[in-house]
Amino acid sequence: MFRAKRRTVVTMASVAAVLLAGALVVTLTEGSGQASGVTYVGGDNSQQVYAAGHRALAPDFTGTSLTGTPIRLASYRGKVVVLNFWGSWCAPCRAEGPTLAVLSEQYRSKGVSFLGDDVGDTTANALAFTRDIGIGYPSVNDASYSIVQDFSRVASVGYTPTTVVIDQTGHIAGLVIGKISYQSMTTILNDVTASR
Amino acid sequence: MSVNLGLAQVSGDFLVAAIVIYSLAVIGFAGDFAFGRPRRAAAAGATVASGERAAQLATVGAAQGTALGASAGAAEASGVADGAQAVPAGAGTGGTGSGDAGSGDAGSGDAVLPARQVPALRAIWEAGPWVRAAVAFSALGILLHVVAVVTRGFAVHRAPWGNMYEFVTALTCVAAIFFCYVMVRYRAWALGVFVMGAVVVALGLAETVIYTAAGPLVPALQSYWLSIHVTAMTLATGIFFVAAVLGVMYLVTDRYRARVAAGKAQPGNGLLARIPSPAQLDKLTYRTVVFGFPVWTFGVIAGAIWADQAWGRYWGWDPVETWAFITWVLYACYLHARATAGWRGRRSHYIQLLGFASLTFNMLVVQVFITGMHSYAGVG
Amino acid sequence: MTDVHTPREQAAAEGEETVSFGIAGTDPDATPASTGTGPSAGWLRWGWRQLTSMRTALVLLFLLALGSVPGSVLPQQGSDPAAVQQYYASHPALAPWLNHLGLFNVFAAPWFAAIYLLLFTSLVGCVVPRTFKLAGSARTPPPRAPRNLGRLPHSASFPSSLAPGAAVDAAAAMLGGQRFRLRRPASGDSGHWVSAEKGYLREAGNLLFHLALLGVLVSIALGGLFGYKADKLLVEGQAFSDTMPALDEFHPGRLVSGSDLAPFSLTLDRFSASYLTSGDSRGQPSDFNASVTYSPSPGAPSRTYNIRINDPLSVDSAKVYLIGHGYAPVFRVTDSHGNVAYDEATPFIPANTGTFLSDGVVKASDASLGFMGVFVPTAVSVGGTLESAFPAPDFPAVSLIGYSGNLGMNSGIPQSVYQLNTAGMTKISGSPRLMLPGQTWTLPGGRGAITFVGVKQWVSLAITYDPGQVPALVCGMLALGGLLVSFLVRRRRVFVRAVPAASGSGSVVTVGGLARTDASGGFEEEFAELAAELAAQQKPEPNNQSEAGA
Repeated sequence: MFRAKRRTVVTMASVAAVLLAGALVVTLTEGSGQASGVTYVGGDNSQQVYAAGHRALAPDFTGTSLTGTPIRLASYRGKVVVLNFWGSWCAPCRAEGPTLAVLSEQYRSKGVSFLGDDVGDTTANALAFTRDIGIGYPSVNDASYSIVQDFSRVASVGYTPTTVVIDQTGHIAGLVIGKISYQSMTTILNDVTASR
Repeated sequence: MSVNLGLAQVSGDFLVAAIVIYSLAVIGFAGDFAFGRPRRAAAAGATVASGERAAQLATVGAAQGTALGASAGAAEASGVADGAQAVPAGAGTGGTGSGDAGSGDAGSGDAVLPARQVPALRAIWEAGPWVRAAVAFSALGILLHVVAVVTRGFAVHRAPWGNMYEFVTALTCVAAIFFCYVMVRYRAWALGVFVMGAVVVALGLAETVIYTAAGPLVPALQSYWLSIHVTAMTLATGIFFVAAVLGVMYLVTDRYRARVAAGKAQPGNGLLARIPSPAQLDKLTYRTVVFGFPVWTFGVIAGAIWADQAWGRYWGWDPVETWAFITWVLYACYLHARATAGWRGRRSHYIQLLGFASLTFNMLVVQVFITGMHSYAGVG
Repeated sequence: MTDVHTPREQAAAEGEETVSFGIAGTDPDATPASTGTGPSAGWLRWGWRQLTSMRTALVLLFLLALGSVPGSVLPQQGSDPAAVQQYYASHPALAPWLNHLGLFNVFAAPWFAAIYLLLFTSLVGCVVPRTFKLAGSARTPPPRAPRNLGRLPHSASFPSSLAPGAAVDAAAAMLGGQRFRLRRPASGDSGHWVSAEKGYLREAGNLLFHLALLGVLVSIALGGLFGYKADKLLVEGQAFSDTMPALDEFHPGRLVSGSDLAPFSLTLDRFSASYLTSGDSRGQPSDFNASVTYSPSPGAPSRTYNIRINDPLSVDSAKVYLIGHGYAPVFRVTDSHGNVAYDEATPFIPANTGTFLSDGVVKASDASLGFMGVFVPTAVSVGGTLESAFPAPDFPAVSLIGYSGNLGMNSGIPQSVYQLNTAGMTKISGSPRLMLPGQTWTLPGGRGAITFVGVKQWVSLAITYDPGQVPALVCGMLALGGLLVSFLVRRRRVFVRAVPAASGSGSVVTVGGLARTDASGGFEEEFAELAAELAAQQKPEPNNQSEAGA
């Protein structure tokens, strides 16, 4: 008698476990990744700002600019760096370009340097873009996304465009996924330049 | 290495020869139906017992009176041995000699032991000249068929199942070999017409409609997995082919027996009376499906491993994969049906035939007409 | 799974214990019993019996097969979204209804999940009690030998020179030697008999098979949670690092984020494809080879590999597969001032996978120019139309239609790199312009120029990681093993009874045998062998013997 009861309990428990696991599996594996045939994704404009002490160290990189001059991130230590990942093929990048150009001029005197990271492009296409949109600051040639790969291990750099704000000590202070807005960038930059 | 066209031609010639010889075998089996010996009890390997015993057992058998017993008796008459019946020689076609030997004679002191089977060759000899000829032609046909398949393989320097034509040629070879094994083991000569006839038809289609010239494989098929996955599918299809023919035979004879029992048809000595009983066919079909199901399962698993190697995922619900899955589920349905009251008998065979229909649909329609990653048939 | 059958009726009629293998009880047709605590418990019990009955399993299996059919004949969102769009276009009234029913994504649809979840619930609800039963039956001895062994499906009898007790002892010794489990009469029982049973492994194999199927389901779920699939198109000479923005498509499992990607980088050095140049199969591909240089992680030494169709690259935890290939003609576009606005190998998508006639677009936003083109690797003119005669780049040519104006990219709305939005652009006059490698088309009106520089090839790679892969394989093999065991092993019982012979000396021994499901056949032979051995062992008297079996 008791044995029969224990059997029933075990059976019901197993069935409940299967049902629960199955339900979980079905609902959770509905595929959260973007399934598109488009070669880039336009981001969702979320922004993240990190308080001092909670900032990840930005990975250093060395590379060549689009015009051939060497660039090293560590050489920007002491300044706030706005690092913008972009490509000439990327429509939101083209749209935000003028805003970045304006901001770069506006914040130059406040110790903020703008730097571009050009991904998935040929040099000719990228230079045509910077000339056309009016980007004056240098961009490092990252056609193979290797700098992006390093950054994606410490910050959620998952889309093009993404803009990372690095503080004077070389730590990531803020992040904008997708096309930036003038408002959001000024807020972040004011915040970061104010705190030391 | 380029294709050896001479060998390919030889392969084609051997295949045509095989078709001709198989046809002769079919004629032999048909002749056995029309003109062959009505009694097969001798060929069934019965123990010779005294006449009195025979009468005693016959009475007992009649008294048992279950449908199974009666049909088992008729089965003895039509020559399907189940190995363990102590049936005396000379039993007529009328339902004597029940399947349960040795009942109730505990005190008589005679040894009543289950019969051991007569050796196969002697059984074939004793079945009569038509059966002898038919089995000989079948064996020769199989030999030619095997040579055709093997030479095709040498001609194209790979396992000879890389397109629809080669696949059908190979699976019919498997079906023929497997069927001959079943036929000899169970002494079921009456099945010959149907299975070998189906093989001839399938090969005829292969030669005419589905024919593809010998050629190298596309890169996607250049893998040793071809030998594993497609071989398993070829074997399983050949086995299920036999099961399907047996299933159709079951449905026909079962309906005939029901009509006889209802008085709507005469229990004669004709074609249908000579075919093994529905119970025997049912058992044979079950055992055939049981043999084929693990092979199909293995084939699906091997296909999944190969798919992972080639396409990066082991299961992607590609149409051919999906239909192989449907076929697997339907045969699993059949196996479950056989263990469920009310679903044995005709219903289970419908399911089994549905499974074979899905297999055929997969092979002939899905691979050819529905685009997916499996479009290697080479047809059209 | 209830096995509702009634040899027990027969046994009951004879007042004997059940010797057959019918599992008593659980008839799904029985109405809810009012045992236990009230009618609701009775209904629950009835419902449970329904769910775990063989009939339900049968119906669910059939539904599973039926439900898979639309998933194979209708285009599916997961594998071919473009075909789904085409279906919408060609069946505008029907398509939305099919979509509501989830028929464009059958295998992820809730109703399909309901079928297999119910099936597995039914499975577990049957397998667990049967596991207990198996454990129990391994401890309970076989049943008593029935009085009349002649009623069993297989029986035999023979005389023996030994007394009944000794005859049975000899039989028991022989059966015991063949690893049957035995039962002898208890002290109070009359008669001389022994019951023997063997083949418990059959049920174990059956249970293993069903549980292994459950394991396969769990492994698939594991892969779905922790695995990912990604696609990347690479032109010869291009490199990429495995990170989310670099990938063309990324399908992560629910618990996967971009930082879980294996941190390798890879360069496509060269792609070569060879095709048959003669015979019936002219134009059929004979080999594909993508030679790559890769580094498993930043800073690690580089290695080279040749990725082929059946030969993926294993790097870190991921595997990289060669899925497809095509042509990427190289174009250079200069704007009206003569500045280079575009200079890139542009992947074109094959429209014809036999001849590789391909379509593509060139988007030179900075020159306000866009081009739609058709590329052919081996150009031939068929009635005035550009066609491709052979898939190898023996005589490449491209035909372009030019547009000038605003491509709409500066508005920020994402666009596909394979599509040109010509609304807001004007077509440049002149029919499609045919160009050979090296030629330049200077556009009218001083708008600029486009040069067809040359041709490169591209490959599409699939990068996958599936932690459920190996467990699924292991469970699959276990399922196959369990299946084979359950088919090859037969659970059978053999009974031996001896009664004193009518003549006074010696005894008459009867043997009976019963197999539950004899899937592979062969019990008849086994029984025949067994009976003959038992008989031979007994030393029968010479006179009364009939001819023994062969």
